[in-house]
Amino acid sequence: MKRRIFSLFIIAMIARAGQAKVDLVTLPTRDTVQLTIYNSADMTLVRESRALTLKGGQNKLQFSWANTLIDPTSLEMLPKANADKIDIADLTYPPRVQNLGLWNIESGVSGKVPVEISYLTSGLSWRAFYMGTLTENEETMRLQGYVRVTNNSGEDYENAQTRLIVGKVHILDEIAELARRQYPYGRPGEGIAPPIMPAPRGRGVMDDKRRSFALAEESVMRSPKEITKEGLSEYFLYTIEGKETIPTGWSKRLLSFEVDEVPVVNLYKYEEERYGASVVRFLSFKNDKEHELGETPIPGGMLKVYRNAGDEGHLSYTGQSSFKYIPVDEDVELNLGAVADIVVKPKLMDFETDNYEFDRRGDVSGWDEIRTFNIEVKNTRDISLKVEIKRNFNTSYWNLTRSGDFGEFEQVDMDTVKFTLELKPRSVKKFEYVLRTFHGTREDDWRR
Amino acid sequence: MNGKRNKVMAIVLLLMVSAVSHGRIKLVALPERAATVIRLDNPRATLIEEERVLTLQKGLNKVDFSWKAVSIDADSIRLRALDHPGNVTLLNVSYPPNEAALVWEISSEGDYAEKVRISYLLSNIDRLITYKAIADKAETAVDLKSYLVLRNFSGEDFDKARVLLDYGESFEQGIDHEETKQMLFLKAPKVPIQKIWTFDAAKLPWDPEQLENMNVGIPVSYRIVNNSQSGLGEFSLWGGKARIFQDDGHESTIFLGEDVTSMVPVGEKTELYIGDSRDIVVTQRKMEETQINKRYNNDRTPRLVLYDTDETITAKIENFKDSPAVLTMIQHIPGQWDMKNCNMTYKKKDANTLEFEITLPARTGDGPATKELTMNYNRRNLRPGVDIRPMPTPMPTMQPVIR
Repeated sequence: MKRRIFSLFIIAMIARAGQAKVDLVTLPTRDTVQLTIYNSADMTLVRESRALTLKGGQNKLQFSWANTLIDPTSLEMLPKANADKIDIADLTYPPRVQNLGLWNIESGVSGKVPVEISYLTSGLSWRAFYMGTLTENEETMRLQGYVRVTNNSGEDYENAQTRLIVGKVHILDEIAELARRQYPYGRPGEGIAPPIMPAPRGRGVMDDKRRSFALAEESVMRSPKEITKEGLSEYFLYTIEGKETIPTGWSKRLLSFEVDEVPVVNLYKYEEERYGASVVRFLSFKNDKEHELGETPIPGGMLKVYRNAGDEGHLSYTGQSSFKYIPVDEDVELNLGAVADIVVKPKLMDFETDNYEFDRRGDVSGWDEIRTFNIEVKNTRDISLKVEIKRNFNTSYWNLTRSGDFGEFEQVDMDTVKFTLELKPRSVKKFEYVLRTFHGTREDDWRR
Repeated sequence: MNGKRNKVMAIVLLLMVSAVSHGRIKLVALPERAATVIRLDNPRATLIEEERVLTLQKGLNKVDFSWKAVSIDADSIRLRALDHPGNVTLLNVSYPPNEAALVWEISSEGDYAEKVRISYLLSNIDRLITYKAIADKAETAVDLKSYLVLRNFSGEDFDKARVLLDYGESFEQGIDHEETKQMLFLKAPKVPIQKIWTFDAAKLPWDPEQLENMNVGIPVSYRIVNNSQSGLGEFSLWGGKARIFQDDGHESTIFLGEDVTSMVPVGEKTELYIGDSRDIVVTQRKMEETQINKRYNNDRTPRLVLYDTDETITAKIENFKDSPAVLTMIQHIPGQWDMKNCNMTYKKKDANTLEFEITLPARTGDGPATKELTMNYNRRNLRPGVDIRPMPTPMPTMQPVIR
């Protein structure tokens, strides 16, 4: 299946002879290509350089993009030399022809002119994912970050400099939808033309040409490629070392970073309103230097967590968690799901009412409710860990006294408090709090 | 271009042979048109002007103007004699039944080959404006380019026409039916921009911790002023889609985002929303809300009739970026209110909207740059069941997940 997707012709028009004499020149293939792939939207910025042979005077350059997912309104051509002598007068999308653009170029030079053609396309994507391997004592984790780049664009990009953007870009229209419009800018007075071209699909079968691509790539690679990371505006730019060839339909996994010993905290949370009666396990660390990280933000993705089991390098699977984008210096909390080996048991031990107030009719107008809670926290595991217990009161008129081993105490918002306890392996802690809530006219007497 | 399309418009001269005539006799067909002008100065309609030569005879002439497969507003058609305006008079216009046509009755004082200008509003031909801006690495200025996109789906081919916008020089351009042409028409280098981060408490979730695995992006915009300091300010900038790129320092660019700007008159500003920052995090919480100064009625079971509230809101702002930023924070307090304590200054934008401009230094080695807004206010004279204005609902967009 041989498809030439892009074609580029130069039609040099001898001005005086008008349309009678038209030279059609096929252009050499692109010299270099750079892909900047986004993951918050289905969008890739492609920049390619080609050498055009222009004649002095009027030139017509035809660019066609059948079977691709290029947004025609994003096409731009810039001469990289003699820019002052080359005037790109207009870009015409001729009538009754699709996927074709015609540049009218007025050239003051004749000969080879390097140009840069850029456009947005859809069909290329990337995502981040992670593998974490905990040590047996669960104090540190080996963290490996990967990126996976997928090409379903309909176009084979060979030897492309590949860059990835981490960030949330605001876009108005899907590039794939723009690519399928019948008319690049639509028609006057109408919204969006219905799609008329189906999206190219990736294919599962590896033909010979593709296999040779893959093999060539493998035989050249001696060590994993580096990915350099830098901040630009609100985004991060990842540049993959060297060139990549990703034929359409294929995807490729690359190592983004690897850190051997990220100190982690085993954090367990209990909050009835959010998680029900179960304790939920979190793995917590910080994207900072102390945790061997903190060079750049960590893009959101799925983390699969394993644990070393035994000396022979066996693994056991702990769980997985998807996490959000983590800025530098921010805490990460990975939800690994509900567990049964840590137990938090709140028990209402005592309930009484008090301080009744009455209206003129003798009815009850105000009162206090006093509840005594006993909370037992049990760590049945043989590692140290931290437990956070949140309690919600559904009123802002409350006072609280506490006793026992309650650890740290914090008021989170007007009706929520948090107890944070550190537990040693196989240990139990108990604490008690007395909650007084004010009701009816007693609210007026409330002071904290 | 001959034979490319069937000609859609025809002008036919009818010579009145006798005083009384039935039916229209088409005698002289298709005077060539010249000096065609496409006026695109009104975004709602496109005006076409064209010049033709009519062979008029002394006395009454009937000229038949018809069109096919184009959409012309028949009421908009005007005719103007150019050579002998004093001697050539348009008497009336008739519209034949069930035809896209009209008949001019023209009185001529002599035998003239009269040049006339015909103008009309033509549908399905218009122009769009698009912008492309490339910001410098430091995000202080953009190189702005604007493109004019002519779209002709009118049914008419324009071989050569003068295209007029509402400003600037006219230019010659041919455009065929179903053709779209994109032309560069404005280049403004180094237009200063101001980068703005905005947290609006009525639009964004308050507490990111309540959102499982979701970042709350703080919208980021570029502000551009259409004035001479910007290298602009000569005319209104038309509304259109703007795509913003940034120089990446490696002789290439990245795409930052796109937005639509509405028309920007001279002296006015536009804000282009490019994307979200996830390196500035706002955690807003209500720490206190109680009723005070309660007034009850005289029922035997007194009913609360009037009260004030005492409310405290805190908003922690963390900048995880390695560069400083100025966050515009918008808070809303409904109804009648008094600020009791507020640790930051604000501008009252309207009765219920407060705007804080919070300068955030860059993150340091010790962690993010953090500031905390605390505002303690009383809302006054609230009546149970009588909500003059509802509270803004600062609920997270996603409900907490119960696992």
